[in-house]
Amino acid sequence: MSEPPKIFVIVGETGSGKSTLLKLILRMLIPDGGTILYKGRDIFKLNREGVRWYRREVQAVFQDPYESFNPIRRVDTYLYDTAKFLLNIGKSIEAIPIIDEVLRFVGLDLERIKGKSIKEFSGGELQRVSIARAILSRPRLLVADEPVSMLDASLRVSVLNTFKEIRDKLGSSIIYVTHDLSTAYYIGDEIAVLYRGVLVEKGPMDVVYSEPLHPYTKMLLDSILEPDIRIKERIKPVKLSSIEISEFLAPGCKFANRCPYVKPICSSKEPPSIDIDRRTVSCWLYIK
Amino acid sequence: MTPLYTQINSVGSSILVAENIDGGYIVPDRRLFIHAVDNVSFTLEGNEVLGIAGESGCGKSTLAKIVYGVIEPPLIVRRGRVLIDVGNRNLIDILSSDRETIRREIMWKTLSYIPQNSMNVLNPMKRIRDHFIETLKFHGIEVSKKDVVNYTREVFNSVGLPIDATNAYPHQLSGGMRQRVVIALALMLKPRVVLADEPTTAVDVVTQLGILSFLKEWQKETKCSMIVISHDMGVHAYMDNRIAIMYAGNIVEYGDAEKVFTDPLHPYTKLLIESLIKKGEKSIKKGILGSPPNLANPPPGCRFHPRCPYAMDICRKEEPLETRIGNNYRVKCWLYSNSRR
Ligand SMILES: Nc1ncnc2c1ncn2[C@@H]1O[C@H](COP(=O)(O)OP(=O)(O)OP(=O)(O)O)[C@@H](O)[C@H]1O
Ligand code: SF4
Ligand code: SF4
Ligand SMILES: [Mg+2]
Repeated sequence: MSEPPKIFVIVGETGSGKSTLLKLILRMLIPDGGTILYKGRDIFKLNREGVRWYRREVQAVFQDPYESFNPIRRVDTYLYDTAKFLLNIGKSIEAIPIIDEVLRFVGLDLERIKGKSIKEFSGGELQRVSIARAILSRPRLLVADEPVSMLDASLRVSVLNTFKEIRDKLGSSIIYVTHDLSTAYYIGDEIAVLYRGVLVEKGPMDVVYSEPLHPYTKMLLDSILEPDIRIKERIKPVKLSSIEISEFLAPGCKFANRCPYVKPICSSKEPPSIDIDRRTVSCWLYIK
Repeated sequence: MTPLYTQINSVGSSILVAENIDGGYIVPDRRLFIHAVDNVSFTLEGNEVLGIAGESGCGKSTLAKIVYGVIEPPLIVRRGRVLIDVGNRNLIDILSSDRETIRREIMWKTLSYIPQNSMNVLNPMKRIRDHFIETLKFHGIEVSKKDVVNYTREVFNSVGLPIDATNAYPHQLSGGMRQRVVIALALMLKPRVVLADEPTTAVDVVTQLGILSFLKEWQKETKCSMIVISHDMGVHAYMDNRIAIMYAGNIVEYGDAEKVFTDPLHPYTKLLIESLIKKGEKSIKKGILGSPPNLANPPPGCRFHPRCPYAMDICRKEEPLETRIGNNYRVKCWLYSNSRR
């Protein structure tokens, strides 16, 4: 990822492989093959100091804020520990102003969270605490896995806005994983669409959104139920069918079973990816 | 055993009437009462979809359990009735009927319930197909094995379930698949009312639209009535004719869905609608300040007052009355109350 900072959204359904991808990026999984280079260094071949460096550079926020914290521990201790481990700030007196600053950045402050355990927070507040912890080391890259899906509609927007501010004011890039295309559009600069473990389309948000090329991207965009009463007239009903099981085993395009444009070659050979119109797409329709 | 019928004329043509329901959970060791449903009333007309919307924890599922009469500890109902028309204007109060009456006259036949957690309905020891066969048997309906197979084939196809699922045990299916099995089971006896609590939680967007399209078509075809519970306003925009917006155990706004979406009155609904992100929107939106209250100790007066930009003195002290606006539209807010002091 290069400058300027960007929010890169990865969209995919459950089982599309997004979580695996994130775990790899966070070094929570070791790949069977291939490497991940970050700033030219192989992240699976780092020494102890290298691991600390990588943690400072790359931080994460997860879906369920209640699982990020131990219920019997005070929430603020997590922030002090991060300051100690990643920034070498062991004295709490020195850590206080830095912690307070990141909390203010997410719309809280140390006074409000001091000494409290998780049950004294709402989901939105707790998610903001975990964002504060993640940005404490001023990471260059923040990885967020469905960070607002557990939050109520009324709390969701302010957390999303916090991510935009992290990009704009702290200059961090963000990999934002979600299955929700409306929030993806609201927040993202670039988008990558995964289907059954395969990248099907990637490019700038605006072009992918306004003129999707891959049939799966089109289908996803046509299926969004917008919270808009006029959706009743606008949306075309979808007819489901029972044949969706063997996709993982199919040799060709994984989407062939459901694709309205399927051609004979699609089910026998995997489509290559090609670059068209500022993006990358994997589909036989675009191979001349 | 004859069920206890009550003839009531005041309910007009409604097929289901919930009146002043008040209930919640007793947490004995902490001497708490979680007041999840506070004086809630609504009516369901024939041939309509009524949505119940609201954020996580506002009491939607609790209301659904009460309406269906599954009241098990720690849930208690302190007040209210739920009248349902079981045919020929015979109304049964679900809350004062015994279990046997509910099982015979209501479950699956008159009112089908698709709960948020479908595992609660399916018997883990039984294959999926036996659930269908036994439900039919229980209601004394004679059908051949072939008819059952045909029915499941048709409905499973419509909701995107593989036919083989009929041979599976519930635990062999994913949460989303089980939920679709329960949908198929719920529609089998063509009930007059279908009560669906978050019917599309564990599925992807394409499947979600497929299931909802199917439910919608089914409703139009059979002219049954449906109550759709969801926290997702997109689901409501697509499904509802009328909608009830819940906040912290109260229905705060209730009426025609188009009006609620385009010209809401209650401050909470207004802020909620404004905060929704629509397709292709990038302009910065504002959330609602603060967070929903703890229902074990809700704020006095209006339960929304700590977050409401229009809060007045009276809002902090007295619970707002419900104001009727025109026909069948209600809002629970002092801004609209004539008896405001
Ligand atoms: N078995 C229970 N014991 C105690 N409290 C409960 C129980 N079930 C639910 N509650 C509480 O009752 C309140 C209402 O819960 P309910 O399940 O009705 O919410 P909901 O609106 O359906 O939320 P969601 O959108 O998350 O499904 C919540 O505060 C919840 O924590
Ligand atoms: S490769 Fe073929 S089956 Fe796959 S998306 Fe393209 S047209 Fe459809
Ligand atoms: S009653 Fe008062 S506090 Fe409650 S929503 Fe209305 S104006 Fe706001
Ligand atoms: Mg619920």
